[in-house]
Amino acid sequence: MKFEPAVFEVKGLSYRRDHQTILENLSLIVYKGEYCAIIGPNGGGKTTFIRLLLGLEHAAIGQIRLFGVDQKKFQNWDKIGYVPQRAMQIDTGFPATVLEVVKMGRVAKRAFFSRENENDRVAVEEAMEKMDVSHLRHKLIGELSGGQRQRVMIARALSSRPEVLILDEPNTGVDQISQQRFYALLKELNSKDRLTIIFITHDIGVIADDIGRLFTINQTLLTCNDPKEALSCSEMSKLYGIEAHLLHNHHHH
Amino acid sequence: MIEMLQYDFMQRAFIAGIIIAILASVSGSFMVLRRYSMMTETLAHSALVGVAVGIISGTSPIWMAVAVALLSAWAIEYLRSFFHLYSDAVLAIFLSGSLALAIIIVSLAGAFNSSLFSYLFGSILSVSQEDVLSIAIFGTAALILLGLFYRSFYFIAFDEEVAQTSGIKVKWLNFLLVSIVAVIIALSIRIVGTLLIGALMVIPTVAALRYRQGFGMTIMLAAFFAILSVLAGMLLSYHFSLPSGATIVMCILVIFIISLVINRR
Repeated sequence: MKFEPAVFEVKGLSYRRDHQTILENLSLIVYKGEYCAIIGPNGGGKTTFIRLLLGLEHAAIGQIRLFGVDQKKFQNWDKIGYVPQRAMQIDTGFPATVLEVVKMGRVAKRAFFSRENENDRVAVEEAMEKMDVSHLRHKLIGELSGGQRQRVMIARALSSRPEVLILDEPNTGVDQISQQRFYALLKELNSKDRLTIIFITHDIGVIADDIGRLFTINQTLLTCNDPKEALSCSEMSKLYGIEAHLLHNHHHH
Repeated sequence: MIEMLQYDFMQRAFIAGIIIAILASVSGSFMVLRRYSMMTETLAHSALVGVAVGIISGTSPIWMAVAVALLSAWAIEYLRSFFHLYSDAVLAIFLSGSLALAIIIVSLAGAFNSSLFSYLFGSILSVSQEDVLSIAIFGTAALILLGLFYRSFYFIAFDEEVAQTSGIKVKWLNFLLVSIVAVIIALSIRIVGTLLIGALMVIPTVAALRYRQGFGMTIMLAAFFAILSVLAGMLLSYHFSLPSGATIVMCILVIFIISLVINRR
């Protein structure tokens, strides 16, 4: 796996905001086809890290390369599908059907004067099918349950046919059964479609065993492990600054 | 109805009114969804400075209004990125600042007269052939731009940051949207007036949102409400000699209240 090209390569990333250190000398590499999770306490800089990666925050020290290209010169943003944390708290009165939301994923792909073509339609249908929201296409997003809305947001990201999917705390406000279904879908996207997935969460209890690597971030990268052997109690204590007892979410197959 | 359409000025007013209703409601819907409603109000007041300059310099008040509204739209967008925590304050500064400037220019020129009054509150009687031509030219350009970029504008309204990370040039498109809105506002002040154009941009969309439809349907409903109220407003304005802008806004308000009542839960 290490010989695959790097999707993200971050070296010595430091970031300060209002005289406060948010990130300090963080380095990590994510390879194509990986399924990894970033965990860490609230305020530990996970979201800021992703925002820096995506160019939503600036003025950091260090180097970020996306698909081998310096981030400042990076153009192929459609290779990256991003579902932010607040996607789940979206205004329920916003006039948008599921179909209209999923189609947004195609907007940046289209040239100025071109109309929606067959390619667009197929990509939108595929994305809706994969996330199992085709039957909801004419529903308003405000009418959906938390789990359904979450799948629509991911379908929106998938419709641009990205190579990487970044999900920031995707389970906020989603019930347990929807969560399990959601993990199954993510696993399928990773194994079948070879989609690189990066998943951010502060809730260590929900991390599934199928994740390949686990990064723990609190200002800097603390550990980078195979999750099955990761996170000894001492590491968790270091991460969260408290005595931690680990609850593993084991699936016995 | 037939009888009033025999007058040239009424024909002109109807053509201009329908174009403006469509443009204002469609571009306004993006402003409402982006919580930019106050921007329309502010740009309308800036346009008044252009009108004042046009009146005293003897040039076309509408063209001057287009120019000044565009300049302030760009200045506001630029300043918002500096004061992003207080961006609504930037709007307040421009709103009262430009009104003050317009009043001073006009009073220095001793031109506080009925002509200015018609720009404040709208007057169908004052719509000239030249105005209709300006509205048709700029209006078509604005409509083409809206058509080309409405998907991007919609995505940005839905989630600006996700739109940016998917490769949409958000900053550039924000400038484009406020520019289109600035032009539409400047064109509309003949019929609706600077003090009332904000209502024509905002209320049709807010009324349409009550019907809880997708975006395509919402925008069509908004345009329909806008056309309906502009036509009804001009009719009533003609029959009862009322200022057209105020009458049009009262008609939109009636549609809004009916929409509220029908869709109450």
